[in-house]
Amino acid sequence: MKLDFEEVGVTGLAKSYGPTLALAGVDLTFSAGSVTVIQGANGSGKSTLLWLLALLAHPTKGEIRFGKYGPGYADGIRGRIGFIAHQLQLYPGLSGRENLVLAAKLQGISHPSERTEALGHALGAGEYWDRPLRTYSRGQAQRISIARALLHEPRLLLMDEPATGLDVKSTDAFVELIAQEKRRGAIVVVVTHEAQFAGSVADRMLHMDRGRIVEPVA
Amino acid sequence: MSVLRAAWLVALKDLQLEIRTKEILTSTGLFAVLVVTLGSLAFYTDPVSSPNVAPGVLWISILFCGILLIGRSWALERENDAVFALLLAPIPRSAIYVGKTMSALALLFVIELLLVPLCLVFFQIEPSGVVLPLLVLVFLGSVGFVSTATLFSAVGIRTRARDLMLSVLVFPLVAPALLASAVATRELFAGATVAEILGWVRILTAFDLLFVAFGVWVSRYLLSEA
Repeated sequence: MKLDFEEVGVTGLAKSYGPTLALAGVDLTFSAGSVTVIQGANGSGKSTLLWLLALLAHPTKGEIRFGKYGPGYADGIRGRIGFIAHQLQLYPGLSGRENLVLAAKLQGISHPSERTEALGHALGAGEYWDRPLRTYSRGQAQRISIARALLHEPRLLLMDEPATGLDVKSTDAFVELIAQEKRRGAIVVVVTHEAQFAGSVADRMLHMDRGRIVEPVA
Repeated sequence: MSVLRAAWLVALKDLQLEIRTKEILTSTGLFAVLVVTLGSLAFYTDPVSSPNVAPGVLWISILFCGILLIGRSWALERENDAVFALLLAPIPRSAIYVGKTMSALALLFVIELLLVPLCLVFFQIEPSGVVLPLLVLVFLGSVGFVSTATLFSAVGIRTRARDLMLSVLVFPLVAPALLASAVATRELFAGATVAEILGWVRILTAFDLLFVAFGVWVSRYLLSEA
């Protein structure tokens, strides 16, 4: 069963990989209908924070709460999380359509083909829809990755460099898509180095350095 | 979503990829045929000794072929970090393990359907009364081996030493199943009846149940963190 929540909060969140401290105690709250952009140098802990929020890793210390639910309800919470990672996380041997239908079925969407078709057309993926994903350009594959994250209308939408490979027109369309998700009530967290893109989507900008939130960016 | 429904989707995805590329069946199938052919040329001496040699060649072939097949199946998951498509889904973690085991078993069984007659022909073993019990032995031996190897391959998505881990950990663990399979096959080739190899079948079934249950239980924890 998919669980719903209006807020995501992290308290004292820390993550170590062996002797390397990737996240050094982060306290944050993300609310429904808001877009938070996180910036910072390479290795500052931005992606680690997203991975913890996506329940793909366990924190070394601290806690994540999805409304009233903790990570103990992971299977139910995952159905409300969409994640666009830096890697595509799609099967190169399957077509864009097949990748999305698989994701829709795994998400338990009742009419996977119809939902996939509608989203594919909305993202302009019709031309290359049935070709194997390995023949796509990075930008084309990125659109499929975005569609996969949005398929199940997630409450928490996590994005790691989501505009990678998108051309100007597609980036504009993507900015509008994020605005739509925000209006729908999604909690959007974006990690990006692209200042212009960040400025066009952010309600709140945070800066990370050596695993900590160091200052809010105006 | 139930474990079985999710596992079926994972397995179907693997089979769909294989039907598209035929990569795993072609490479591992050719390898398996080569091992049986070389084994028959190197070890076949006469019809009396062949029932003793054939089981070893057959099971070595299945073992190497299975390791190749499972390694390739998980390599597809690592490409593009595609495995996260599964880890991000709201499905029980054990469904990923069960699904990958089901697809690997199905592909290995296709190769075994080719290997078994080839082995019987090359080693001149009388097929009447042997084929069906042999297929049962091959299936039971494969379940234990594939379920164990898949579990350690799942761990291997997080480690660089995955190939080393497979050979160091999996081979000793599956040794009881492989030995039971090889001995039961030898007795079958030597003319034993089904009733006479039933003890080995029971041992294999117990091993399979134990390792599948252990895999389902432990995969929930092994796959909980990427």
